[in-house]
Amino acid sequence: MTGLQKISDWDEKAVIHILSRTILGYTQQDIDFALSLTPDDFIDNYLLADKPEPTPPFWVYDSSSDNATERTRELTYWWYNLMIRQGYSFREKMVLFWHNHFVSEIDKVGLPQRMYWQNKLFRDYAFGNVKELTKKVTIDPAMLIYLDGDKNRRGAPNENYARELMELFTLGIGNYTETDIQEAARALTGWRVDGVTSYFQENRFDNGIKTIFGESGNFGYEDVVDIIFRQPACAPFICRELYKEFIYHVPDENFVNQLADILRQNDYELKPVLSALLKSTYFHSEEIRGSKIKSPVEFVVQVMRQFNVNTPDYNFMRQTAEQLDQKLFDPPNVSGWDGDKRWINTTTLPARNVFTDSIVEGEKPNGSDLTFHIDLVEFARTFPEPENAAALVNDIAKIFIQFPLSEKRIEYLLETLLDGAEVYDWSTFDPQAEKRLKLFFKTLMRLSEYQLS
Amino acid sequence: MDRRKFLRQLGLLTGAGTVSLTLGNVPVRAFAKPLFNASAVNGKVLVLVQLSGGNDGLNTVVPFADSNYHNARPGIRIRENDVLRISNNLGLHPSLQPFKNLYDDGELVIVQNVGYPNPDRSHFRSTDIWLSASDSNEYIEDGWIGRFLAKAFPEPENFNPNHPMAIQIGASQSMLLQCTCQGQMGISFENPNQFYQLINGSTADNDPPPNTLAGEQLRYIKQIAAQSIQYAQIIKDAADNVENKVQYPNTSLGRQLAIVAELIAGGLETPVYLTSVGGFDTHSNQSNSHANLLQNLSGSISAFMEDLKLLGAANRVVLMTFSEFGRRVEQNGSGGTDHGTAAPLFVIGKNVKGGVVGSNPNLEDLDNNGDLKYEFDFRQIYATLLQDQLGMSADKMNEVLLGNFETLPIIDVKHATSGGPVSFSLYQNYPNPFNPATQIRYELRIPQYIRLVVYDPTGAEVVTLDQGWKQAGSYTVTFGNGRYPSGVYYCRLISGSYKQTIKMVLLK
Repeated sequence: MTGLQKISDWDEKAVIHILSRTILGYTQQDIDFALSLTPDDFIDNYLLADKPEPTPPFWVYDSSSDNATERTRELTYWWYNLMIRQGYSFREKMVLFWHNHFVSEIDKVGLPQRMYWQNKLFRDYAFGNVKELTKKVTIDPAMLIYLDGDKNRRGAPNENYARELMELFTLGIGNYTETDIQEAARALTGWRVDGVTSYFQENRFDNGIKTIFGESGNFGYEDVVDIIFRQPACAPFICRELYKEFIYHVPDENFVNQLADILRQNDYELKPVLSALLKSTYFHSEEIRGSKIKSPVEFVVQVMRQFNVNTPDYNFMRQTAEQLDQKLFDPPNVSGWDGDKRWINTTTLPARNVFTDSIVEGEKPNGSDLTFHIDLVEFARTFPEPENAAALVNDIAKIFIQFPLSEKRIEYLLETLLDGAEVYDWSTFDPQAEKRLKLFFKTLMRLSEYQLS
Repeated sequence: MDRRKFLRQLGLLTGAGTVSLTLGNVPVRAFAKPLFNASAVNGKVLVLVQLSGGNDGLNTVVPFADSNYHNARPGIRIRENDVLRISNNLGLHPSLQPFKNLYDDGELVIVQNVGYPNPDRSHFRSTDIWLSASDSNEYIEDGWIGRFLAKAFPEPENFNPNHPMAIQIGASQSMLLQCTCQGQMGISFENPNQFYQLINGSTADNDPPPNTLAGEQLRYIKQIAAQSIQYAQIIKDAADNVENKVQYPNTSLGRQLAIVAELIAGGLETPVYLTSVGGFDTHSNQSNSHANLLQNLSGSISAFMEDLKLLGAANRVVLMTFSEFGRRVEQNGSGGTDHGTAAPLFVIGKNVKGGVVGSNPNLEDLDNNGDLKYEFDFRQIYATLLQDQLGMSADKMNEVLLGNFETLPIIDVKHATSGGPVSFSLYQNYPNPFNPATQIRYELRIPQYIRLVVYDPTGAEVVTLDQGWKQAGSYTVTFGNGRYPSGVYYCRLISGSYKQTIKMVLLK
């Protein structure tokens, strides 16, 4: 169990790593705050804190199909706003994780209202019980429509949900048979959708005996989930997904199994697993640092949080994330976004650079102004030693880059900031300071290293 | 309009000018992929169209005379009166009229019952199997095209224009174009102009990444940065060189293929293109949606074929459609079909043999799930394309496909060679003997990839005078200018496996 030993050093390096993998962008103040607490206190009471439920858009209760496009956008902005103002809890990162796990696409689901209710479900269970969440998802209106559960009825089974439930949501390929799918599909019959709610219609339910993973009975949907969660492949499957999200895209089965033991021991409660993961020497090992490629949503959100922008240009964030292949509520298919290297290609990498340039310039690529402006000189002065060029470069790099920068890289950044001047000439009061900071920040965020966390 | 305003209108330039990053003034190419010699494939091109979701083969190529078909699909069957007949028991879906026309012209081959042993019904696993060309129980992390490119263009050659080895139209990068040996073999973009504008202002850096997990990630990102910078200009130039001659359907696939046509005809030497279209996962109420999918598919592809003809590039191109699986024989309870197994695919081009390869699906001999058994392994089609279209030898082909697969009679090999002896002429140089320089004229009767090389009598290469993809026409180049000693020289024009040689004498 060596990997799960608790870390002994709670230093700046550990805090930076943990923040960069959980809260989508952090500042110097965040580092200082975390260091003022014990790791147990910070991780269990702040990072894993449950928070009050946010007020939804007013239209989520009706089932009208009016303004679906506008409402989907509004919902996207609403969610971005929660991510920006998340505080220390990484609940929203978990909501994003579940959105990419129990996938539904707005195009097929139809009503943005349904996507809201599914999103709320992910938020309610962000750090909650995975088995219970899976039951709720199984009869969630958006999911019933997305994977044809509402069409699945006695005598006319539709295997779509049953297959993806086992393949993508709980067990993984190779851990079930075609018969298990067919029998589970029978047990999942009877559920329908009316507007934004789902209901059970007795006469559509297959009332016969089903045999799933060797167990027989007149099973319904809750039994299906209970049976699946008794399979040995279930806990490792879920922990593998957590591993890929928080640690590295290639799972280490040994550590995955250690996490799976915790998940099973706690009857699929997530908090103990996440807490152990974040405190582990494994998570804090040198190898892991800076090895994750930021997703587009993480990317556009963390820029705002690094610069302390509380009211960003949501429209521009949404457009950019879409250009980078991540449109919220519209994953590409039922397996979700592939992630990791698939995020970076010859189109998206340059587009990421264009986005960060725009943030620094306060101007979109089409020449129109952003809805906010970052005063770079004032921003530089929030760091401990703004008048010391070398210290300033180091301190800013700590916030923006998690990859261990080489001496040469730091030197290059310093040269960019100085723009030909001598180190002792640097001053934020110099009339050239803003121009130099602009070039410096654009350069910093164009580094390939900036894509990693 | 000034350039800046132009860029702004494209919506792609950052506000106050772009930042240029130069690290240690190292040329951009420092991280570039190996260059290659396009003559290895003789200017041939393979275009792949991926139908994501699992296309319903039985309603695409319809065995309308089989009562089992009608019985299994009472709600969604295509009626005998509606099919586009290609024989007395086989017909195309009524939305496939453009394919019917290509079929009638002998430019479309239907390969029946394509699949593999122990079929997997997961979208993702089966897609990976198709892209990697693996067995059903074998997990391979790279694509068959990636491995093909690594084998076909193993060594960088200095003289070559830096064209990408494969292009995917779209925003993500497929496993198909990866090779574990060399990384990402292809590049992807949505359209050439946007691609070019995005790159504006970037340059690569050469700081070697550390040998760690994170360093490996960084190396990949830097590779992508270098590729995008290297290829943006050359792709835009190719696209600007020619214009589409036909109207394509205004769909994503139509737009993708319009771009591919321009790039091929515009002189890009890239041998493989990947395009894709989704929506084929028809679990419910499929009749209308499947009709629309097929209409888009056949309309876009036939526009592409017509365009290539008008642009003079049709002889070089073969297109193949593929999908991760077909669908269950029996319809489900929702007016749709669940995941199945074997299905037909299409191979299209001016140089295919035409007709149907294989027999009608056997609807009486199904597997335990009620799915079709396959007749041809999908890798047989790959083998055929590698050998007969891309000119790969059998032993190399086996390495690419990780096994030995028998080819099928799909490509008309004798017409497939574009660089035949009658298609070009190399004329005697003038003056001859010469001092200090002479003019060499050659003529191409069809567009083709050529090299014009001068050798000394020992067979050593003296200079490459000309090379690249050329339109039909007459060309003149100069050799000499006092840089070479007196003696006999041979000048050779090479196109594919064909050569023509003249003897020249330099007398000082």
